[in-house]
Amino acid sequence: MTLQDLIASLSRFWASRGCLIHQPLDTEVGAGTMHPETFLRVLGPRPWRVAYVQPSRRPADGRFGENPNRLFKHHQFQVILKPSPDAAQDLYLDSLRVCGIDPSRHDVRFEEDNWESPTLGAWGIGWQVLLDGMEITQFTYFQQAGGIELSPVSVELTYGLERIAMHLQGVDDVYDLAWAPGVTYRTVRHQDEVEQTKYAFGLIDMPEAEFAAGHRDLFEQHHRLARTLVRSGLVLPALDACLKCSHTFNILDASGGIGVTERAAYILRVRELAVAVAGAHAGAGGAAAPGA
Amino acid sequence: MYRELLIEIGCEELPAGWLPPLVRQLGACVGARLDAARLACPSPPEPFATPRRLAVRAARVAERQPDIEETLTGPPLRAALTAGGDPTPAALGFARKHGVAVNRLIRIDTPKGTYLAHRRRQRGRAARTVLGGVLAAVLRDLAFPKKMHWDARLDDGRGDLLFGRPIRWLVFLFGGRVVPFVIGRTPEAAARGVAPIRAGSTTRGHRFFARDARPGRPVRVGSFAEYRKTLKRHYVLLSREERRARIAKKLESNAKRVGGVVGGAGGAASLLDEVPDLVEYPSVVTGRFPEEFLALPDEVLKTTMIHHQHYFPVAAGDGRLTEHFLAVTNVPQDNVPAIARNSERVLVARLRDARFFWEADRRAPLAARLDRLDTLRFHAKLGSYLAKARRIEKLAAAVAGDAFGAPAQVDHAARAARLAKADLTTDMVGEFPELQGVMGGIYAREDGEPEEVWRAVYHHYLPIGVTADAPPRPGDLGRAGISWAAAALADKLDTLVGLFQAGERPRGARDPFGLRRQAHGVFGILVDLPELTGLTARPDLGSLVAAAEAAHGGGESAAAPEVTERLQQFLLERLRFVLEQRGHDVRNVRAATQPWPSWRAVTPLDARRKLEALPGFTGSTEFQQLAALFKRVRNIARELSDAELGDVEAGRAAVSDDAPEPAEAALAAEIERRRPAIAAAVAAGTDYHTAFAEAAAFGPAVDRFFTDVLVMAGDLDLRRRRLALLKRLERLILQLADVSALVKEAD
Repeated sequence: MTLQDLIASLSRFWASRGCLIHQPLDTEVGAGTMHPETFLRVLGPRPWRVAYVQPSRRPADGRFGENPNRLFKHHQFQVILKPSPDAAQDLYLDSLRVCGIDPSRHDVRFEEDNWESPTLGAWGIGWQVLLDGMEITQFTYFQQAGGIELSPVSVELTYGLERIAMHLQGVDDVYDLAWAPGVTYRTVRHQDEVEQTKYAFGLIDMPEAEFAAGHRDLFEQHHRLARTLVRSGLVLPALDACLKCSHTFNILDASGGIGVTERAAYILRVRELAVAVAGAHAGAGGAAAPGA
Repeated sequence: MYRELLIEIGCEELPAGWLPPLVRQLGACVGARLDAARLACPSPPEPFATPRRLAVRAARVAERQPDIEETLTGPPLRAALTAGGDPTPAALGFARKHGVAVNRLIRIDTPKGTYLAHRRRQRGRAARTVLGGVLAAVLRDLAFPKKMHWDARLDDGRGDLLFGRPIRWLVFLFGGRVVPFVIGRTPEAAARGVAPIRAGSTTRGHRFFARDARPGRPVRVGSFAEYRKTLKRHYVLLSREERRARIAKKLESNAKRVGGVVGGAGGAASLLDEVPDLVEYPSVVTGRFPEEFLALPDEVLKTTMIHHQHYFPVAAGDGRLTEHFLAVTNVPQDNVPAIARNSERVLVARLRDARFFWEADRRAPLAARLDRLDTLRFHAKLGSYLAKARRIEKLAAAVAGDAFGAPAQVDHAARAARLAKADLTTDMVGEFPELQGVMGGIYAREDGEPEEVWRAVYHHYLPIGVTADAPPRPGDLGRAGISWAAAALADKLDTLVGLFQAGERPRGARDPFGLRRQAHGVFGILVDLPELTGLTARPDLGSLVAAAEAAHGGGESAAAPEVTERLQQFLLERLRFVLEQRGHDVRNVRAATQPWPSWRAVTPLDARRKLEALPGFTGSTEFQQLAALFKRVRNIARELSDAELGDVEAGRAAVSDDAPEPAEAALAAEIERRRPAIAAAVAAGTDYHTAFAEAAAFGPAVDRFFTDVLVMAGDLDLRRRRLALLKRLERLILQLADVSALVKEAD
């Protein structure tokens, strides 16, 4: 099964279970959780079911396209079920079956792994799903987002698409994956990995100090913009700006431009933004009286 | 009549580490709630747990509560009836409170007079109608390290039901019949069709495997015997012991098949305690990785396998790790080829990462990483890890040179302390934080640092445990015993003194910096110093704390007195804790750790040796005589200040030269006779047996002195002479222990 077939199978499966099939957020994010379809939809009482692929950037995991398992940018398949159905685990296991993973031929386990995102003020209770010892999915019952307690509770499924595809295709190097028949992951993504890693690690035509100063400045600009947008009641643009802050911070962090103390301070500032965005969304009635 | 009660709470996978404490709670909780519901349960409930279920069986529970008959006393008769014989408001109120007509009240005679009373008869209710309340209370009672919302609620007036993980089914049988019980849903979830959980008689087997029927389908059971048998048939072993034994046996046989044994020592042992709670039906697969990865340090291989993958390493006969590993699986058969292949793939990916870090980290020597420590903050008020490295370098040298009297090890200790934290900047420790210290030691070894340095770095976070056999053992330390002890003490003392000065002392359950554990490490080293290092030095608390304060800036930024006061209280408390954990009697510990003449003089090693000698004496009549009298000695000796005693000893204060009474002379002679042996024992710090034997022998002389001699004589000079005598005795004994704390209580 090619990577694109895997995505198609999961999309078909979740569409048939009442999910709206959405598209990725068009700004840099570290995880599918940051997409407003998760971060904002889980707030408030309104039921919602959605699934989408989210390319996710983790600058610190960049390996110049040389590591067979680690990527600057990987792809998550994200599912939100709100409220969480009573057979959430069974539904999830059915989704594995349609991808060609038969749990009775493997060792599939739900092992404790509570998820927490300090920058989003979000946390949940759940598991990493292990397939023969490999983590393929994060399964979380959301308890809080943007500092707001959630009721009802949403289930968040985050599939690691590359990992699952590697398992299905029996390859040990992510770049050997077949993305489409006859087209490898290398062809599609390798250049991106090499160049993005160089950028994230500050290996560009610019002195280290200038790189750091420039990105600190970028952070401040996004931060100011985000605050203004929150104040103006524009929740979605504010979230975009907040996520720009988060990504800029990740680049600074990966390039080694941040000390431990400063790191904590940056995380706190992004978190305050995320909390303000969530608060504005809930307060504006976006969560309480949906329909928009 | 009694009937069997069976409850099974079917859950989504509970965290493995929670199960052992949960299962203990469950048994106690069900027992207590049955008792509170007045349902007799002659044998204690038996609890069980697997990742997907908490189950409890009470073999015999009464079918019905006993009837109750009780007499409730009301107002006295004279206040209950008016002169005309009509009921007063007090009588009416009492009747109303109990819902009876006032003419149904009875009169009872008590020693205090006649009272109105109500005799209440309550017929015991059937267990079936009471048990629902019992289960509701049990669901509320169970404590989890972390609870979650899952849109559930109970009809017990307390609203939302939080739990460890969502509950998916309930078996609730009494005498084979279902007890009605429902866990409801919050309105938001109910509106979207999320179903309530209704108690029934059907359990679930293994998620993916069944001998008949479809896996995961509900299966009906009627009794515990049937329940247990049904689960087994559906690949669930209810008993943890059975799961553990099966795992141990399979690990052993699989290792043997590839010519090895289960390796990984302590790490593997604690893994074996964890895996039975990760699986319902354990099997084992053997896998192998390319031999080239055996070039990685064993510590890295073990951490990758044990901590990250829950795999057991296989060792050869000589203890060296081999390329084989064992994975415990939750499937019926051993060695399913697909599972083995996939497990190998995951492990190899991790090992490849580890090798990448191993190679990258060694491009620069450990010493070259010190500068990068400057970007790593230790504490806002205490600076970076580089600042800490500089402090502990100085402190370790002082500990080795001054406190240990081991000048030859000063340079090694300082070097080890300087390098100790450098591995925090390595990629390997970034990826495997649990290897901090260990990796530094390994990298130092690779850099050609001497054994005294690299082994000291390797073990400097230890000891963690408080027992005498906690690692490291002398064999682990090799030639690095002294440099290790100095560097490890320096690290811990620096943290303790620094964080106390920064106002971060532990409060109640809050100990975010793990300072208690740091202190336990300090005392673990000091109490076993000779065994660990071969040293005879007996460092006292005062000199160690003073050295750490000096490294923190000493003079100028000297700690405020209240900081030192809090620190010394904390240290004494932790020393006592460690000694108590080692099995010493609580009162002996208090007596042997008396801060005399001040806390600075307390020497942990001497405290241990005193405690080893004390139990041989505390029971003897002589010793008890002394113990009983010593409190009086201490109270009276307080009448003379230390300065006054000094004046007496120096001949500056007048003392009576009247001939002493015989008892006074005898005690004075006894003190002079016994002093040398006690003083010698204390000075050498070894022979506390002799010292306590000498001390105990004071009993009769002290007794006679108090009987015959009036200490607080009218003649002040005479009084001063007698007080000085008692004070000398007090000082002599206090060098050993405050024996007044050791009076045996009458049983």
